[in-house]
Amino acid sequence: MLTLAILLPLIASLALALGPGFGERVARVIALVASALSLLALVVVWLGFDTGAGAPAFQAVAEFAWIPALGVAWRVGVDGMALAVALMSALLFVGSIAWPADYKGKARQYYAWFLFLQGVSLGLFLALDLLLFYVFFDLSLVGMYFLIGRWGHGDAEYAALKFFIYTLAGSLAMLLAILALVLANDTLTFDMRALIAAQPLRGTDLKASLVLFGLLLGFAIKTPLVPFHTWLPLAHVEAPGPASAILAGVLLKMGTYGIVRIPFSMMRETFAAYALPLAILALVSILWGAIVALGQTSLKRRIAYTSVNHMGYTVLGIAAAGAALGAESARTLALTGAVTEMVAHGLITGSLFLMAGSFWQRAQTYEMSAFGGLARTAPKLTAAFFLAAFASLGLPALAGFVAEFQIFAGTFAVYPWLAAVALIGIVVTAALFLSMAQKLFMGRAAVPTRDFPDFSRTEAAVVAGLLVLVVLIGIYPSWLLTLIETGSAFLPGAGGVR
Amino acid sequence: MLFLLILPPILAALAVPFAVSNTSGGARGRLLGVALVGLAGTLAFAFIAAVNGWAGMLVWARPIVLTAALTPISAAMAMLVPLIALPILAYATFHEEEEGLARLVAFLLLFVAGMELLVIAADLLTLLIGWELVGACSYLLIGHEWREEENPASGLYAFLVTRLGDLGLFVAAIATFAATGSFSYAALGGIPAPLAADVAFGLILSAAAKSGQVPFSPWLFRAMAGPTSVSALLHAATMVAAGAYILIQLEPFLASVPGASVTILGLGLATALAGGMVAVLQIHAKKLLAASTSAHFGLMFVAIGAGFPGVAFLHLAAHAAFKALLFLGAGIAGSRAGTYSLDRMSFGRVLPWTAVLVAVGALSLAGLPPLGGGWTKEGIVTAGEHVDLWIAAGVIAAGALSAAYAARFALSAFDASSPEEEKDEGYRPGRIELAALAVLAVLVVVTSLLWLPLVRNAVASWLNVELPEAKLVTFVLSTLAVLFGGIAGAVVARRHPGLGREGDARGAANWLGLPALIDRLVTRPAIGLAKAAAAVDDWVIDAMVRAIGKGGRQAGRLWSSLADVSVDSVVAGLAAATSRVASLGGGVGERLLNGLADGTALMVGQSGRDARRIQTGLSHHYYALAVAAGAVAILFLLSVS
Repeated sequence: MLTLAILLPLIASLALALGPGFGERVARVIALVASALSLLALVVVWLGFDTGAGAPAFQAVAEFAWIPALGVAWRVGVDGMALAVALMSALLFVGSIAWPADYKGKARQYYAWFLFLQGVSLGLFLALDLLLFYVFFDLSLVGMYFLIGRWGHGDAEYAALKFFIYTLAGSLAMLLAILALVLANDTLTFDMRALIAAQPLRGTDLKASLVLFGLLLGFAIKTPLVPFHTWLPLAHVEAPGPASAILAGVLLKMGTYGIVRIPFSMMRETFAAYALPLAILALVSILWGAIVALGQTSLKRRIAYTSVNHMGYTVLGIAAAGAALGAESARTLALTGAVTEMVAHGLITGSLFLMAGSFWQRAQTYEMSAFGGLARTAPKLTAAFFLAAFASLGLPALAGFVAEFQIFAGTFAVYPWLAAVALIGIVVTAALFLSMAQKLFMGRAAVPTRDFPDFSRTEAAVVAGLLVLVVLIGIYPSWLLTLIETGSAFLPGAGGVR
Repeated sequence: MLFLLILPPILAALAVPFAVSNTSGGARGRLLGVALVGLAGTLAFAFIAAVNGWAGMLVWARPIVLTAALTPISAAMAMLVPLIALPILAYATFHEEEEGLARLVAFLLLFVAGMELLVIAADLLTLLIGWELVGACSYLLIGHEWREEENPASGLYAFLVTRLGDLGLFVAAIATFAATGSFSYAALGGIPAPLAADVAFGLILSAAAKSGQVPFSPWLFRAMAGPTSVSALLHAATMVAAGAYILIQLEPFLASVPGASVTILGLGLATALAGGMVAVLQIHAKKLLAASTSAHFGLMFVAIGAGFPGVAFLHLAAHAAFKALLFLGAGIAGSRAGTYSLDRMSFGRVLPWTAVLVAVGALSLAGLPPLGGGWTKEGIVTAGEHVDLWIAAGVIAAGALSAAYAARFALSAFDASSPEEEKDEGYRPGRIELAALAVLAVLVVVTSLLWLPLVRNAVASWLNVELPEAKLVTFVLSTLAVLFGGIAGAVVARRHPGLGREGDARGAANWLGLPALIDRLVTRPAIGLAKAAAAVDDWVIDAMVRAIGKGGRQAGRLWSSLADVSVDSVVAGLAAATSRVASLGGGVGERLLNGLADGTALMVGQSGRDARRIQTGLSHHYYALAVAAGAVAILFLLSVS
């Protein structure tokens, strides 16, 4: 079933790429159906997912031989974290594909690349083989590179290339580290389960430290953590709205997901030794991301920098969970919070970037000073934007709070000072989100916004779909938290939480 | 089960759009009906829940559990909130402007729901949720008239100041969890010393911000940008009341932490005196009342710090009734005058009913016996006396100030000196508005029953609190101070009606210059820092990345010729290997492999075409560099192992 979720969009992508006869409408329908079926396949897995106490570490596992000599195989399977992040990603893909876009006359190719990106992104979250993980990691760069470069605006080619080179450099560091990690194991295998069980590298000798740094460097660039984040605002500003939503909602998660899946799970001792520096880096990202975001005048750059802030919370939670300090229940809480933040950030920032795309489509600018008083003509957009902004600044009863509160509560028991200082971020995000929303929607109407139309029916439906989940998670998150806490990363002794 | 208590106002808020959907007129009446049903539902639910001792529990995922329970005080508060909100909502539906009225009523109802959640909370997480929701609702309500930029800006100011305080509650909650593994109020007693101080002072910080104590007081002035009914609700029974309420609830714990009670007492007394002075100097009717809110919550803080949370709660209830009444009265006078300047009013003749009802509230605000506000203020004086005579003296002085601004407000706004002929022109309150004022005036009279020992003892045993017995000397002194203050206020109203319009008095009336100080020390540095950080991010951090990229390109050029050759040979080798594999396989396998290869070739070709279109001609240099760097790293790793 998981294989199906990966292959369906890839096959449809191939069909779109090779079938020259498809018109815009047909291409759109094919893309939507394939994307939705892929989501459906994941929902089927979710329905059969066992969250009970004795549940196995990974479920829905499938394995096909690929390169037996190297211990590489097509291995897919999910624990709760992977399933939660994959479900969110698939949903965001459906929404982004449905979102009205400027195809620049190439609808078929646009949808083909989107489906390709969906297939490889889901592949990354579902893979249980390190080499497969790496392949999907790099292929996702390729998909995003073309989406930004061909359908972006402004200096899109430079932005796409910078994004590509920067993250590729990170992924090469990661590849070397992965190879060293695998080679350090007694038996040659890329099977994640085996590597988690074996813990091939321990301690803080030079080799283990280098491998950890390589992995963390690759993931820190992708996440991104300060100071490796400067590709992000550029890529976001030039990317079309739906691609931005995927970049923030799905691709950034690959960094944090990767940290939990590989260094956190496979090198627990080494990770614990370096947890404090990582947590400090996360704290710097939280504060720097928020402060720099407040200084932006472009609405898309402002939202982009808040991703640095939010992913900083996620990494802070992961670092606290991986430290060998404090009570176990607190560290479990921090990790649950970090994974919840991945889901919440995907839904919230995904919908914010989709809405930012609507601004470009209607006015061809992201400068906040060009807008004002939009609530007059676009009340639905106003309501949705405010709701998403409140969610993003961590208002209770919305998803972001559930995530961030758990991260704070869990981290405080491990690194009290870091958690206390990180709290300052939520005041700055409140200031930057609400001042932005006020500038756009309230006060006097600015000139280019006089005939700014409200949501179309498609836009309203997509944003409503995402935000309903944000509210649901905010009020009653127990179904999500139970799912997340099932499986490998949370098994005592099998993950970082002991 | 108890969580259902917050549902009636939420459902009513959701029903609001339907109440105004058919625009055939009578929308105000239907809104009134919806609001009354929602609030009465909560009131009834609170009563039943208190009688039956209901509690509530909602498991997110252990150890995160939301809990609700009723203590005698929280049960009383859960009933007080909708009781005060009822007349205010009724007034809102008939007094406020038609435009956006449905939104206003819906948010007011949600405001009440958030407040009820924090009232019934039995743990710090549930409290935090209600606490922040109340803050968000007040943001939306203060900026209700969003077409004017200043209103949402004022809302943001209020939200940010109180959210800064909320950090204290965050710290309190997570420190409690770190110490005890739970968020429950019941666990507070078991927190070891250093963390207990974090929890206590975190609570005090957030309560002080919410209740408008110094130095957070100026947000209450900015909150005046909202409609009158918003100010009334915000100052009487929700938002501002939350700060004092939680300190009342958790007083036994706070009293056990060294330094906490003294801090609460000091903050409260300072705010009571400073707020009193600011209020006397204020010429803006709503801001006068806003400063007096800070001052009276300061008095509650004094009672809590002195160890008499029961007195503080009774003062909270008395204050809720008279302050809501006075705000609604100020709204009527403001509508008539078209301004909130006290020297443009004097509507005693044209608005006689409003004037009489407001007088009841003003006498209670002044603390004159036999009104409710008088008894509760006496209680605070006596409570202060238990700590130190100087505290009692401070409270008496604050009481004199309170009498002075109450007199100034009532006499300026509603004295009977204005000429009779204006009588039939201009705005006049409708029946619903007057009824709302009358209900609140009755509530003020009800609180006055506290002067009767029989009633007082019954209330004390119902709330399970200890009330201090006043000494005659203090009582006489305090009453004399009230009379003196009242006369001083009357003199201001008659002789200097423009006090606070200009000059030094004007500066002092704006919270003694505190907003300018906050602007200079916090707001402007923060924005400057953000701008500077944004520039550093672009011109320093990213510049380093660009420099590395540039260096890489140059290094890449050196490598590229060599690398191109090697890459070409690798590609050629791969191709040869692939064809050898293909030739090995036969039949089906060969066809399959060929198909795959063709498909791959097509995909690669397509990607290649795409890549060429945006190719800058440099990426192979990066590849070359990356390959080289990778080779070095591999060698290094191998040598290490």
